[in-house]
Amino acid sequence: MGGLQKKKFERGSATNYITRNKARKKLQLSLPDFRRLCILKGIYPHEPKHKKKVNKGSTAPRTFYLLKDIRFLLHEPIVRKFRDYKVFVRKLKRAYGKTEWSAVERLKENKPTYKLDHIIKERYPTFIDALRDIDDALCMGFLFSTFARTGKCHVQTIQLCRRLTVEWMNYVIAARALRKVFISIKGIYYQAEVMGQLITWLVPYQFSHDHPTDVDYRVMATFTELYTTLLGFVNFRLYHSLNLLYPPKLDSKAESELKDENEEDYAMNSECYLEKLSALSASLSRVVSSAEEEEAELDQFPIEGEDIEKMEAREKEHTQQEAQKKLFEGLKFYLNREVPRESLAFIIRCFGGEVSWDKSVCIGSTYEVTDETITHQIVDRPNIDKQHINRYYIQPQWVYDCVNAKIRLPVEDYFLGVTLPPHLSPFVEEKDGDYVPPEKVKIMALQRGEKPAHEQEDDDEEEEEGEDEEEEEQEDDDNNDDDDDDEEEEEEEEKNLKKMEQQRSQGKSLQVKVTPGKVKVENTVRLEQEEKAEEKRLAIMMMKKKEKYLYDKIMFGKKRKIREANKLAAKRKAHDDAEKAKKKKTRK
Amino acid sequence: MAAARRLKRVVASQPGFLKLKSTSDSADSVSSRRKRVNKNKKKSWNKHSDINDVEDFLEDVRHQERTTGGLLSEKPDDSLFFLDVGQPKKPEQKEEAVEGKKRKGKTSRPLRIDLILQHDSLIPPPKDVLAYQQPNAKKLRRIAQKAEQLAAKGVVPRRRKQLPSRRPADRKAKKSVTEANNNPDREYYDIWGQESKDSADPWYLQQTGKKLVNRPEKLNEKPSVLPAVEVIAPGGSYNPDFFSHQALLREAHEVEVKKQKEEDKIERQVMVNKDDTATEETILREQVEGLVEEENEEEMAPNEEEEDVAVGGIALAEKKTERQRKREKADKIKEQQRLADRQRIDQHQQLFQLRSIKASIKQQEQGTKEKQKVRKAKQEAQKSQPRRLGKLKFQPQDLEVQLSDELAGSLRQLKPEGSVLKDRFKSLQKRNLIEPRERAKFKRRHKVKYVEKRAFREIT
Repeated sequence: MGGLQKKKFERGSATNYITRNKARKKLQLSLPDFRRLCILKGIYPHEPKHKKKVNKGSTAPRTFYLLKDIRFLLHEPIVRKFRDYKVFVRKLKRAYGKTEWSAVERLKENKPTYKLDHIIKERYPTFIDALRDIDDALCMGFLFSTFARTGKCHVQTIQLCRRLTVEWMNYVIAARALRKVFISIKGIYYQAEVMGQLITWLVPYQFSHDHPTDVDYRVMATFTELYTTLLGFVNFRLYHSLNLLYPPKLDSKAESELKDENEEDYAMNSECYLEKLSALSASLSRVVSSAEEEEAELDQFPIEGEDIEKMEAREKEHTQQEAQKKLFEGLKFYLNREVPRESLAFIIRCFGGEVSWDKSVCIGSTYEVTDETITHQIVDRPNIDKQHINRYYIQPQWVYDCVNAKIRLPVEDYFLGVTLPPHLSPFVEEKDGDYVPPEKVKIMALQRGEKPAHEQEDDDEEEEEGEDEEEEEQEDDDNNDDDDDDEEEEEEEEKNLKKMEQQRSQGKSLQVKVTPGKVKVENTVRLEQEEKAEEKRLAIMMMKKKEKYLYDKIMFGKKRKIREANKLAAKRKAHDDAEKAKKKKTRK
Repeated sequence: MAAARRLKRVVASQPGFLKLKSTSDSADSVSSRRKRVNKNKKKSWNKHSDINDVEDFLEDVRHQERTTGGLLSEKPDDSLFFLDVGQPKKPEQKEEAVEGKKRKGKTSRPLRIDLILQHDSLIPPPKDVLAYQQPNAKKLRRIAQKAEQLAAKGVVPRRRKQLPSRRPADRKAKKSVTEANNNPDREYYDIWGQESKDSADPWYLQQTGKKLVNRPEKLNEKPSVLPAVEVIAPGGSYNPDFFSHQALLREAHEVEVKKQKEEDKIERQVMVNKDDTATEETILREQVEGLVEEENEEEMAPNEEEEDVAVGGIALAEKKTERQRKREKADKIKEQQRLADRQRIDQHQQLFQLRSIKASIKQQEQGTKEKQKVRKAKQEAQKSQPRRLGKLKFQPQDLEVQLSDELAGSLRQLKPEGSVLKDRFKSLQKRNLIEPRERAKFKRRHKVKYVEKRAFREIT
C-alpha cells in the first residue's frame, strides 16, 4: 500500500488538450482576437479520440486545442500587439467621448499595427512550401478583388488583393504557365504549373455577388490578411526567378504604345498604372533585357533498360508542352465588348497571342477593329452587322477549348450562331474502360493528328468507330490490340471465299484462274506480338488457384466497367439520334 | 474716457449745442417740490442728488454718436441739410421701377433676421488690448537680446552644440511602424533568400522575449488531406456534356431525397396518433367510467389476495445432515479430480493436434491482420472527412446545379450559380481549419411591449 491516490483527469489525454475558452483566458485575448491569432499562426482545433476523457467526464461538444499548441502561441509577439490594440481602442473611445480631437488625432497617428512577415517565414520555411499552399491564397485574392467597395471589408484590402492578383496573372503570362481552364457555373477554374507545382484557383464571375449572410466575414478577412502577405512574397520571388522587375513595370516600348491622350477618362492618376497592368495587354520589363530566352533542353543522361521508356515519355510530354505554350502565337485577336475581357485576354496572352479590344471597354487596347491583320474576332452574339473578310468570327468557347485540347481546334464548330459543342471539364481524367464522351474522343483523335474528313461523313465514321470499339471491348480486352490487324485480313479472306461460294451456289461457272502467288511477308512485329499473347495465355493457365481467382476478379471488374461505359455510349447514341430526328422534323 | 466725457460736458455747456431729444425735463424739475435733505453722507448724497439732467445729456450724446458718428453741433452744414427742389418729375415711373427692382432683388436682399443682428452703431467697437499682448513678452525680449549679444561675441549655445551629435529623426521608420498591414502600396522583399540576421546577442534576445520560438514540425501538417480547391464535377460546366450533366443532376437529386426523407421522418414522429383521438365510443366509456364496471372489480379482488399469499410465503431451507455434507464434499473433490485428469489428457492430446493448432493460430493472425487493414483504411477515409470540432456538425453546401432549361446557350447569357465566397468558407470548414459556427443570434433582454396607439385604435 502507500503512495498518493491517483486522481481522475490529471494525466493522459485530459492534460494534453485544452478547451477554447480556457486557451482564450490563458492568452488573455477576446474570442475574435483568439480566432484571428489561431488563423494567422496556423493552429487549428483538434478532435480528441476520447472526448469523454478529455472533457473530464462530460460529453458536451466543445472545441479543443492541443495544449502544446497554445503554449507555443504564448510566445508570439503579435499577441502583445493585439492587447495594445485593445487598449488603443479604449483610449480612442474615451477621447471621442470627451470630444478631445487633438487626442484623437494623436492616438490615430500612433495606431498599433503589426506585420505578418515573420509568421510567413515561420509557417513556410522554404519557398516551395509557400508555393504548395498558394491555391487558397489565390482563390481568396481573386474573390476579394471582385468585391464592391461597399464596406463589407476594407477598401484597402480590396485594392491590395487586386494588385496582387494582377501581378500573379502577369507572372503566369510571362512564364506561360497556364495549363487548363474550365468555365463552370460557379466561376472559372484555372490551373497553372509553376515550378513543377500544379496550382489551381477559382475566379468568380464579375459582378455576381450577393453577399451570403451565413459567412463569417471577419474570419475570411483574417485569412485574406495572411494570404495577401504570402502572395506578395511569392510574387516577389517568382518575378525575380524570371528576371522581371518587381513591382512590375511595363515594357518601355509597350508603355509608349499604351500612352493615350485620354487616360484620365479611365482612371485617376494614382490608379492608372495598376489599370494598365491589369489590362494584361503589354509585356513586362526585365531586369536584364535578354534578347531571347534560350530553349531549356532536357539533359540527357545515360540510362539503361526500363528508364528509357520513361525518359522518352517525359521528353514527348516536354515537347508537347512547348508546343502548347505557343498555341496562339502569331494570332491576333479582337475582343468584342460582350465577352469577358479579362479572362480571355489573360488566356490569349498566356499562349502567345496578341489581343485588343474596343477603346471604350478598357484601357490598354492596342489596335482597332479595322486592323487588317486581325485573324480572329471573338463575338458572343447571334449575328453581327459588319463583317471583315479576312478573319474568323468565333465564339469565346473556342479559346477555352483550344487550351484544354492543347491544339488549335477547327473553327467551324464555333462560328457565329452555331450551337456549340459541350465544354468538357479538363480536370476529369478517364482511365481506360471509363465512358468517354464522343466529343472528347474526337478531340483526342485530333490530338493524335488524324483529320476528320467532313462533317457529315465524320459523324457516320465516328459511329462506326464506336461500334468497332464496342465489339473489340466485348472480346477479351487483353489481346484486342494485337489481334486487330489480322482480324481484318481474315475478314477480307472470308469475304472473298463467301463471294466465291455464292457464285458457285448460283450455278455460275467459276472463273478458274491461276493467279500469281504472293509472297507472304513475315511480319516480325506481329509474330512477336503473337508470341507474347501466347505466353500470356499460358501464364494464365499456369496460375495457382488463388491467384487465378484474384485475376478473374480483376478481369471481371474491368469488364463490368467496360460494359457500363458501353451502356452509356449506347444511351448517348440513342439520345443523339433522337435529337437528330427532332432536328430533321423541325427542319421539315 | 474721462477726458472725452469732460470734453463733451464742456461742449454741451456752450450755447451752440443742439439737443437731439428736446425733452421737457426743465419743466419737470420746476414742478417737483424742493425738499431739503442732508447731503453730508455719501449715501444720502447719492440718494437725493438729482442727476437726471446729466444722465439725459450723456444719453443724448451717446445717441448722437451712435447714430451719426459724432456730435451734431460739430458736423458741417452740408452733411445736415440739403436743398429741397420739390418733388421729382416722374414719381409713378420711379415707383414702378422701384417695385421692379424689389421683385428682382428679392432674392438678393438680406434676411430680416440678419438685418436685426447687424451692427448698426457707427462707433467702432473698442479694441481688445489683451489680444495684442504677448505673455512673458518682456522676458522673451530679454532672452532674445542676450542671445543676440552672445551670437555677436561668437558663443554658440549648448543646445546648438549638441545638435550634430543627435541622431536624425527617423521619419521613414516611424512611417513603417504606423503602416497598416493591408496597405495597397506595401513593399515586399525576398523573405526566403536572406538568412535571418542574428545581430543581437542571443542571450539578450531570449531574456527580453524577442527571440522567436521554433515552430514544432507537427504544426505544419495539414489537418485534412483534401485539396484546397475542389473542382466542380464535369456536369457543372456552363455548357455541359449531356451525361455528365445528368450525373450531376442525379447526385443533387439524391441529396434532396435524403433531406426530404429526414424531414418526413420528423414529421411522422411529430404527427398525432390517430388511435389517440377521441371517438364516440371512447367518449361514452369515459363518461360511464366507474358506474358500470363493479363486477370486474369484484372478480379481480380475490385474485390479488391469492397472489399476495403466494408471494408472502418464504420457504425455509431444511438443515443439512452430517452425512449429506460429507457426500457433497466427496463429490466436489471427485469432480475436481476428474477435471484435472481431463485437462492432463487434453494437453497430452494436443501434442497430436499440433497441425490443427497451427492452422487455427494462422487463421487468427490473418483475422487480426484483416481487421488492422480495415481499421487503417477507415482511418485513411477519416482523414478526408470533416471532424466534429465544436457544437455544430459540418453541413455540406448545397450542390450547385443548373437544370436543363436553366442552362445558358452562350457565355454571355450565363447566370452564375452559388457563391464563391460561401464555397471558400465551406472549404475551410471541410478541411478542419475552422470550426463550423452559427451566426450569433440577437437576443432581446426584455420583452417588447406592444401598445396600440390611441389614434390608431380610434380608426379600428
